[in-house]
Amino acid sequence: MIRSLNDFLRVAREKGPKKLAVLAPEDEDFMLAVKASWQKGYTEPILIGNIEKMERAAEKIEFDISRFEKIIGDDRQAIADLGINMLFTGRLAIISKGQIPTSYIYRSIIKEESRAGSGMTVSVITFWEIPGLDHLVAFTDTGVSIKPDFKTKTEILKNVLFVYRLLGYPKPRIAVLSGQREIGGMLDSYRDFELLQKAASAGDFGDCEIVDATSFTEIFLGGRGRLGNSCGMNMERMPYILLVPCLDTGNIICKLDFFLAVTRCSLVATSRGPVCIPSRSDSGDNIVEQLAMCVVVADRMKTEVK
Amino acid sequence: MLKSFRDVLEADKEGGTKKLAISSAEKKDIDLLGKAAAAGLVMPCLIGDGKVMEGMIKGTPLASLEHEIMNEKKPDKALSMAIGLIREGRADMLMQGAVKQQMLLDAVMDVKKGLRQGKLASCVSVFGLPKPEKLIFVTDTFINNRPNLAEKQLILEHAVRLAGVLEIEAPKIAALAAIEQINLSIPSTLDAAILSKMSERRQFGNAIVEGPLDIDCALSKTAAERKGLQSVVTGDVDIYLAPEIDTGLLLAEALVFFGKMRTVGAIMGTANPVILNLPFVREEDRMVEIAIAVLVCKKGKNDA
Repeated sequence: MIRSLNDFLRVAREKGPKKLAVLAPEDEDFMLAVKASWQKGYTEPILIGNIEKMERAAEKIEFDISRFEKIIGDDRQAIADLGINMLFTGRLAIISKGQIPTSYIYRSIIKEESRAGSGMTVSVITFWEIPGLDHLVAFTDTGVSIKPDFKTKTEILKNVLFVYRLLGYPKPRIAVLSGQREIGGMLDSYRDFELLQKAASAGDFGDCEIVDATSFTEIFLGGRGRLGNSCGMNMERMPYILLVPCLDTGNIICKLDFFLAVTRCSLVATSRGPVCIPSRSDSGDNIVEQLAMCVVVADRMKTEVK
Repeated sequence: MLKSFRDVLEADKEGGTKKLAISSAEKKDIDLLGKAAAAGLVMPCLIGDGKVMEGMIKGTPLASLEHEIMNEKKPDKALSMAIGLIREGRADMLMQGAVKQQMLLDAVMDVKKGLRQGKLASCVSVFGLPKPEKLIFVTDTFINNRPNLAEKQLILEHAVRLAGVLEIEAPKIAALAAIEQINLSIPSTLDAAILSKMSERRQFGNAIVEGPLDIDCALSKTAAERKGLQSVVTGDVDIYLAPEIDTGLLLAEALVFFGKMRTVGAIMGTANPVILNLPFVREEDRMVEIAIAVLVCKKGKNDA
């Protein structure tokens, strides 16, 4: 079972290197992460982008990229399309975003999923490693669906359950988050929680449990609980998966690592393999961790058919 | 500029005691009011079953301090009486007792008999940051589900007003959204951009609104610069404006539980301060909520 980001690094060392296409690694910070990931034996990169910019970035960090396959291209959407197509046709195991808008990559994935007839909804899973907690916590969808309806949420939930089971969690506990409170009537997010809980009880998501709590107060203090004189965080109550109500909530909460003592790693789950989508604000070390995570997920996907 | 909960409590030491009305008080409320009365913040007026109130007060610090009991056994009538006292100028602020939150808010926001002042009330969660020591605000964290742009403007004005009460005269505001770019498919980014433009035209006085900002750019100047975003707001935000309640409530709770931060709430936009019983506020910090309400009374800045 993968319990920490260190576990990802350890397993990635054992299972790597995996072939990775990097889309427009034209900035030295990102190229540095590609270099580190290769040096650690996680990945074997194929570089796609503007050759001059890639070479300049590599030169600045003293990274000899002459040994790697390079595909020259300038058009951002074409680069995304090519990389994602290589993933879907089995030419490589992982894709990573470089200096390219994430929306272009989502567009390419949606196109390929449609072509492959997988019916898969594209969603982003963001893991948090929280000190003192013996498992990872995933927020989803933190990147694609702006305001997912119930049907989309069922797909998002299936995606994250698939990944969690790959990581060795047979019966993940899930919280469907909502801003529901005593006032203000029923929120859409709470109605979705009720529907998803029913669906889970009916076995629609396989072995899993949707906890009877939709806010952090309810998760940690129970239904009618209120904070005493401590922060009141009972780690044992922490679910594995937190399904967020909408993109705004997901993105805002999951990036609180800039403020909190947690570490964050994200990936896009596709039917053919993981796509690494580091934020432009992520540090180099954090990007390496995200690549390692994708190596592990790619390795385990080989033995599972979604 | 007040920088901590301690500063807030200290700031209240001048200017006299305010009268606090509470209906259907519980034992924990009596204990809290005893402390607040002992600190010279408030003179409690308890409305409810007189005998039950007297029984609860007996033997507590409040028993020997100035207080008032008004007998009304029915909770709804007791609440109306509490609000009536404030409307008549015989009390200064309202505190939630055992009354349900929805019942309390309905009564408070009643156009004819309540404390409604403007179009809406909003909840500002105030957090005490230890390093650097400063107060930050997140809003709306409890009242409005999906505010439209006009409502967000009011919510923002409420928060700016509260910041002013706490002597933060030119607050820096992050109008939060999922991304820092304007995306026509993401309404929060449009609202944030418009609020930001309004601030450029000084429609929020000295407050500076930057938006849309994703949380990484709001929290870290370095992260913002990596995204090519230059602003005096990034990395030094005083007020975080949440796009809707799912985000507002969960963001406040995430800071409390994962960040182990202390928070208190302030309801703004009513004619007089209202102190709600928020589940993610520590018992020991409810005194700060009373202190903020007293400061708001003294500075007369609660209304929209």
